[in-house]
Amino acid sequence: MSNRFVEQGLRSPVNLTWEVSLACNLRCSHCLSSSGEAAENEMTTAEALDLVAQLDSAKVFQINFGGGEPFMRPDFEEILAACHGRGIMTCISTNGTLLDAPRVERLAASQLVAIQVSMDGARRETCDAIRGAGVYDQAIAALKLLAASRIPSSINTVLTGQNAAEIPALHKLAKELGVSLRVSRFRPSGRGAENWEELRPTPAQLLNFSAWLSESGEVRTGDSFFSLTTQERQGLGLNLCGAAKLTCCVGPTGNLYPCAFLQTERFKAGSLRESSFQEIWDDSEIYASFRSLRIHSCEECQRFDQCHGGCPAVAWHLKNDISGGDPECLERCVTSIADEAKAAVA
Amino acid sequence: MAAAGIQLHPACRVRQEGFGLLFYDSRGPRLLFAETGGLLPPDFFAVSRSRDELPPGLNERQVQVLGKFMTQLLERGFLREQPIR
Repeated sequence: MSNRFVEQGLRSPVNLTWEVSLACNLRCSHCLSSSGEAAENEMTTAEALDLVAQLDSAKVFQINFGGGEPFMRPDFEEILAACHGRGIMTCISTNGTLLDAPRVERLAASQLVAIQVSMDGARRETCDAIRGAGVYDQAIAALKLLAASRIPSSINTVLTGQNAAEIPALHKLAKELGVSLRVSRFRPSGRGAENWEELRPTPAQLLNFSAWLSESGEVRTGDSFFSLTTQERQGLGLNLCGAAKLTCCVGPTGNLYPCAFLQTERFKAGSLRESSFQEIWDDSEIYASFRSLRIHSCEECQRFDQCHGGCPAVAWHLKNDISGGDPECLERCVTSIADEAKAAVA
Repeated sequence: MAAAGIQLHPACRVRQEGFGLLFYDSRGPRLLFAETGGLLPPDFFAVSRSRDELPPGLNERQVQVLGKFMTQLLERGFLREQPIR
């Protein structure tokens, strides 16, 4: 990955996250956007289709749809069809409960969609404790439908303290189902902030995961663990935060943010109801500040070239300092464990 | 046997940036930043072409460099080889 070109600024994002609705039929305890009821004044179908046209003009390669549960929007398949009609690749993050055989068949026809089904434990009890009773079985049913289709599909797991020990079993389960595994980082936003202390992985769990990941090259992470990336996985993804450089986030009401974990007024880059997508990408002061963000406190670290200070969103949520350095990076995990050991001896 | 042609892989996209071409492979996903300036337009990859075909008007050095580049794109899976019909 060439940081030089990224830091010069690209004409548009490579991909973006579009949270099409806050509506969700589940109430997962780690949900980054506290989804449940739809937001007031969510984008209309006409606005959504106009955005697709704008993203096509901007040559955005891929749209990653999330929410909320995207399929809660009655017009979601219409939005997808507009993307695919323009050759834009899509990836849908779904809880799987609204997927049935006819829908999977319709989606497969585009050949431009990938689907991630959320599942937060290899054991039914672990998954359902986070996502709700009966969700594990519904997710498995959805994954079986997808595995039988041509759609590239994966289990998407948010790493928590509760499921950290089950990640290898989830990998095995994914293989048995004929799909891949993607593990995402748990961040303290939305309901995830309310339940942070209960659900966060410990430094030891993060280190164990990092070691396991280094031996599991086929497991994807959506670049969410670059702050934990070992030498073995260098070259498989980013070594810096891509927010406002390679990617960005569109919220349900048409507001733009640097990433899905910073969907607050403080980080609002603009509104599609006031400016075009390209104008916001080019001119937003928030985006400019992320492009020039340097985590000086991390520059002396031996791993600086591998993570460049890690995730600013986690630094913001935990330390109220966007440039404070990732509190859960590999180095800090090691230091934290060493400090605990010293304290125990003392 | 039909002659082999090359074309952008269906899982890949390419667009023009200030430095040259930006390739995206959704299978990774992975990116490739190519400092080609304006020598190769992105739509050059939209249709199947013979392996040694390049845009007109290039000098000998440019032909040599871009020829190697096309081979690298093929080896790295951004382009795929298929029969020309």
